[in-house]
Amino acid sequence: MMTLLEVRDVSVSFDGFRAINNLSLSIGEPELRAVIGPNGAGKTTFMDIVTGKTRPDSGQVLWGERQIDLLRLSESQIARAGIGRKFQKPTVFEDQTVRANLSMAVRNKRGPFAVLFWKATPEDHRRIAELAEEIGLTDRLGDRAGDLSHGQKQWLEIGMLLAQDPRLLLVDEPAAGMTPAEREHTTDLLKRAAQTRAVVVIEHDMEFIRRLACRVSVLHEGALLAEGSLDHVTRNQQVIDVYLGR
Amino acid sequence: MTLINRPPVAPTAPILAEGMAKVPPRRGFLRENPSLPWFLGLLTIFTLMVSVLSEGLGVGALSTSMVKIIGMTLCLCLIAIAMDVVWGYCGILSLGHFAFFGLGGYAIGMWQMYARTEIVIRDSMAGGVLPPTPAEVSDAVAAQIFGVVGSLDLPLIWSFAHSLPAQLALVVLVPGLLALVFGWLAFRSRVTGVYLSILTQAMTLALALYLFQNDSGLRGNNGLAGLQNIPGLLDVPQAVLSVWFLWASALALGLGYGLFAWVVSGKFGSVIRAIRDNEARVRFLGYNVEGYKLFVFTLTAIVSGIAGALYYPQAGIINPAELAPIASIYLAVWVAIGGRGRLYGAVIGAASVSLLSSWLTGGGAPNIEIGAFRLMWADWWLVLLGVGFVAVTLFFPKGIGGLFDKLVRKQP
Repeated sequence: MMTLLEVRDVSVSFDGFRAINNLSLSIGEPELRAVIGPNGAGKTTFMDIVTGKTRPDSGQVLWGERQIDLLRLSESQIARAGIGRKFQKPTVFEDQTVRANLSMAVRNKRGPFAVLFWKATPEDHRRIAELAEEIGLTDRLGDRAGDLSHGQKQWLEIGMLLAQDPRLLLVDEPAAGMTPAEREHTTDLLKRAAQTRAVVVIEHDMEFIRRLACRVSVLHEGALLAEGSLDHVTRNQQVIDVYLGR
Repeated sequence: MTLINRPPVAPTAPILAEGMAKVPPRRGFLRENPSLPWFLGLLTIFTLMVSVLSEGLGVGALSTSMVKIIGMTLCLCLIAIAMDVVWGYCGILSLGHFAFFGLGGYAIGMWQMYARTEIVIRDSMAGGVLPPTPAEVSDAVAAQIFGVVGSLDLPLIWSFAHSLPAQLALVVLVPGLLALVFGWLAFRSRVTGVYLSILTQAMTLALALYLFQNDSGLRGNNGLAGLQNIPGLLDVPQAVLSVWFLWASALALGLGYGLFAWVVSGKFGSVIRAIRDNEARVRFLGYNVEGYKLFVFTLTAIVSGIAGALYYPQAGIINPAELAPIASIYLAVWVAIGGRGRLYGAVIGAASVSLLSSWLTGGGAPNIEIGAFRLMWADWWLVLLGVGFVAVTLFFPKGIGGLFDKLVRKQP
């Protein structure tokens, strides 16, 4: 397993509040990793930094074989380098069809001119059909994404993420608002995805994490508190203190 | 599953084929743009009707000035669909697109003024013993054009004014380059929303104020005049010329409509609408949002410039007041009233509001006596427009085009 993403001594403050405090973390490829922590521990800020949404005050974020510094890249360049992100709240383009949503996400040239003259190839159709099958939205390809249920929007967003074919998937609370059956499907999907790529899951639901059966990183006050299997970290006294509130 | 493991696995193929069969069919270009054939058909019929009714080529039911107003309205419809693409589809509320329209007008007007003055000068010099040298002609033309602002020299920006092809190229290049540079600076700094709108207002205001200067090289507040006369076609009566310009305007509008219908459909249209709705999300999909905005901003600026180049020869005069910020605000009002995000909505809005405006302010509408009070439409038109705008915003947020949609389709 090689190191795909390495976060080194990263710190960031917002108006004096240290959201991330000398955080170091590395993710391998392939790997499934869960990131947990109480509210305000810096989990989402960590994702914001990796995806380029937030610029840290200090530290490094290195990516891939050639150790590219992600802090020099824009959000869209980071996404093209192979980092996909699923937001906490499903953010799909509600005004457009499910097909258009998927079609935008499918890995293809992203420049304005290439997109303007783009025509769907049979391969693109096949891929969209395949993705729709996977996320159970085959019958709804022609419908507006805004007309989907909350769970279906979650699925569509997961589908868009898979369509990007990223090397690293950052998934923020994927199971929120899903039925038990859908959660199970999500667990399966994430585990399968993690066989060939790196997947980082932020989740509150311990039961969900337990089913993922993966290495867990616990964040607290913007720093790494503990790392290891779920059983290992839940036995850690510091983690218990943080979670159970002193 | 092939989806997850990157190397494709063959055995899943039959499952996929089965999955494909259930997939609803994709929609083709015309299915996505049902308004395009309708629009082109109606535009053709309308143009033919106006030609038949015109004074120049037909039965004479429509005066030449009326034909010009119709032709100018078509140009306004063209800039309105450009505005709809940049605002309604891409979410950039530009309040400066009339600057590009004006620049297009100036670019063509420079050639018209220069070439026509040159003809006049040559005629008056023809009586001399020796034929005039090019330098003499050029000096005389400069004195003739710029005497009004107290200058005898041809400014540098008139270097190509003698050449129609060069000025036609400038119709495209000047608005295009201005939009490219301005847009690059603004979008790169991630200026969005109301701040961008203010910036575009500042751009058009600054340009207008600059052009008001006598030494701006474009005759200050005198502007360029006599543009209804087309050098080389001076023998053609205005009645006929007005119909030719009507045709050119209709052709430009039809081509513009087709171009924009193509741009806003398909994946490019998807991406720019996605940028309008959530630009941060589009970045995380790997699209360079700034590049798309810049493309749309520049393309619509170029089309606006072309619309202006067709408008001002029909209007006959252009001056810096045309670039005043209020013109661009009107443009946004037309598009909002007509209905954002639908090209025909922009056409409906621009045509109805601008025609209503020229009818009410041109003395066409009878004034209303309310007791001792006399309602003069020329004064009250802006109030009516304001009330109409508020009413549309409150009660029909999708504009007239949205109402039209409800009638045509059952979709909300």
